[in-house]
This record gives sequence, C-alpha cells and structure tokens, in this order.
Amino acid sequence: MINFHPTQEQLVDFVEGNCSAALALVVSAHIDMCPKCQKQTSILQASIGNQALSIDSVTDGADLNVNFGSMIAEITSLPAAEQISVSKREAPTIELDGRKFTLPRALGRYVENTGSWSHLLGNLWQAPVDMGEIGKANFIYMQKGGRVPEHTHRGNEMTLVIDGEFSDGVSDYDTGDFILMNENHVHAPHSEVNEGCLVFSIVDAPLHFTSGIARLLNPFSHLFFK
Amino acid sequence: MLVGIPLEAKRTEASKPKECAKEMSAYLQTVAEDRCKMSFSKVFGYFAPRLRSYALKQIGNEALAMELVQDTMSNVWQKAHLFNAEKGSPSTWIFTIARNIRFDMLRKQQNRKEDICSDDLWPVLCEHTADANEVSLDEQITLEQVGGLFDELPEKQRVVLEGIYIEGKSQQEIADELSIPLGTVKSRTRLALNRLKEMLKDHD
Ligand SMILES: [Zn+2]
Repeated sequence: MINFHPTQEQLVDFVEGNCSAALALVVSAHIDMCPKCQKQTSILQASIGNQALSIDSVTDGADLNVNFGSMIAEITSLPAAEQISVSKREAPTIELDGRKFTLPRALGRYVENTGSWSHLLGNLWQAPVDMGEIGKANFIYMQKGGRVPEHTHRGNEMTLVIDGEFSDGVSDYDTGDFILMNENHVHAPHSEVNEGCLVFSIVDAPLHFTSGIARLLNPFSHLFFK
Repeated sequence: MLVGIPLEAKRTEASKPKECAKEMSAYLQTVAEDRCKMSFSKVFGYFAPRLRSYALKQIGNEALAMELVQDTMSNVWQKAHLFNAEKGSPSTWIFTIARNIRFDMLRKQQNRKEDICSDDLWPVLCEHTADANEVSLDEQITLEQVGGLFDELPEKQRVVLEGIYIEGKSQQEIADELSIPLGTVKSRTRLALNRLKEMLKDHD
C-alpha cells in the first residue's frame, strides 16, 4: 500500500510547471502508480489551468494583441498526429535476470537510455539511466539482504519504489512510495523481503557517505550511483 | 465588497468562462473532425496570448515563451482528437499540454547549459562512465582496505580527493584554497581516482 506521496506543495509546483525536471519526472511516475495523487492532480490541473487561461487572465491590451506572425500558418501546415490510443500502448518494462518489471509510463521513454546491470557490493544491482544534466539516475535492485552503506545527500535524492519493499532505518517503504531525501537526511536502505526491491532513483548531486570509515567510500560513490 | 458593480454584471462575468469553454470545445471538435483551420484560428486567438502571458511570467524570456506557445498550439492542432470534453475543459487540457512541454524544454535547457560544466557538478564522475563495469568492487575489499589504499596516494592527490569526497567541497573551492588552477585540481582528481582503481585491480 502506498503511504508516501508527494506533498500538496510539490504537486502544485508540478502542476504549475515550477519544479525541477528531475522532480517532475519522479512525481509524474508516482502519479502513474497512485490513484489518490492522480485524482488530486486532475483537480489541481482543472483549477490551476482554468484560472491561468481564464478569460480575464490577460487584461492588458498589448498582451492580447501580440503579433504571432506566421505561427498559425506554420502550425496548420503540420499533419495530424497518428491516432494511437494511449491505453493500447504496451506498458514499458525492464528486465533483470529473467524477471520482468512493469514500469510507470513516465519512465517508459528512458528505457532505451538504460545501461546494462552491474552487480555491486552488498547484493545490489544497478543499471544507470542516461538523463543528461538533469541528474544522475539509476534503477537499483536490492536482493533480499541487499544493503546500501549509510549515506546522506548533497542535493536531492528522489526515489520511487517500482516493485517490492525496503526499509532505510527511518521508515518502511512499499511499491509506489515516493521518497525525497536531501542533505538533512541520513539513511541506509536495505531490503529484507524475499522478492527484493526495485527502485528508480535520481540524485541531483553525488551521494555523500557519512558513517565512519564508509566515508572513504566517497571516492567510489560514482561507481555506485553515477 | 466591491463597490459600484451591480449584481447583474457580476453574474455575467461569472458565467463567461463556462460559455467560452463550450465554444472552444466545439472548435476543437471541428479541428479534430475536419482539420478546420478557421476553427483552429479561433482556438489560437483565445489561447495563444494567454499562454504567452503565463509563460512569460514563468520563464521571463520572450523567445522561450513564444517557443512554448508554438509547441503547445502545434500539439493542439495535431492531437485535437485526444481532447475529451467530458474529462475537462479546453483550458485544463491545453494548460496540461503546455506544462508537459515546459518540462521538456527545461530538460533540453539543462542539457544545453554550458556555463555550469558537468565536470564541476559531477567531479570526475562523468569522465568515468565506462569504468563502472571494468572495476569489480566486490565483497572481498573491505572498507578498511579502501581506507588503507587512500593513504597510499601521493599527498597532493590525497588532499584534493579528501576535499571533494570527504569534506564535500567543489573543485573550484579547492583550487581557491590551495591557490592552484582549477585544471590542476581536475587533473589531480583524475590521477588519484585512476590510481585508486589500479590499486583495486591489484587486489583482485
Ligand atoms: Zn500518491
């Protein structure tokens, strides 16, 4: 059961188009998985959208009479998009060791940017996702007993549980949960369930390991979470 | 309480957006069914200035605001058949398209940003993308051993790595502190990481 949702403020920022591209991606992937946030988002979209584009949203005559030049002509010379019904498109998947995981639609466009899995320290598997400069993203799979060394964050680490359950010494997380960690959080994710746990994680700055000698792992944090 | 506005006028004001939604829905339907350019120009005439005004407030750049209007209205023209009046108003639908395009633009913009070199945000990390698979870091290497390796680095390289990874400084900060060029900090970091990787390979 999903217990961790984006805050109302994060949803509003997302709907208004005012959050970072990385946060927008994880929020929209969560929305794909969460009926509650789906409903909340469509309510927000209706009220914010209607207001932003309402008849009196622009009263300045100069703004209303902007010359758009040949824009209409350029647009109407474009062909109509092919009619593919959204619901008929197959859900994107990712595979690890013969196991197929269904992904939320928002992550579908990145499947082809996902590199191959590598096996890391502590029963962890990682597949890097090329997201360009918006952040460093990975699919991370924790086998039963898999453990990430305790660390904090120099930026925001946004995580979405794709399949399974894990704990991090702060809370227990289930499929669909949305987790945002920043420099104020220290945690040590691990999974103890038989089926393990697949998460999608995006960090907008490298992780910073904190506990004792594990700090010396920092030079290698790029090997874990590029 | 607003002074001087008769009740009647107020009521007309309030009913306007709804009528407009109905009107715009009908135009969108004609665009979807007949590719009607006239109907599209009505939709454009209403939404384009409002989208531009909203985008300008948000982005603060005229050219990008116009790009957002063009991309959004292109989607409206090309995907009018996806609009469903039962699911929401034209404003909601078009606003949502604009929002998604805004995030696409944000992604592209971030990838275009050259003033913040990825190197500075991701010290060394980006240069070693290919290495993750080459270096096998398995359970055989304990954290203590890694600590030991760290001490084997030449002093100058170790200081730079400690600054970046343990103290969390940027490469620029370290350059300023040590009064050495940024390029030197970068090359020392690169040398040190390569050295550590060599040492790790020897451990296998
Ligand atoms: Zn939710």
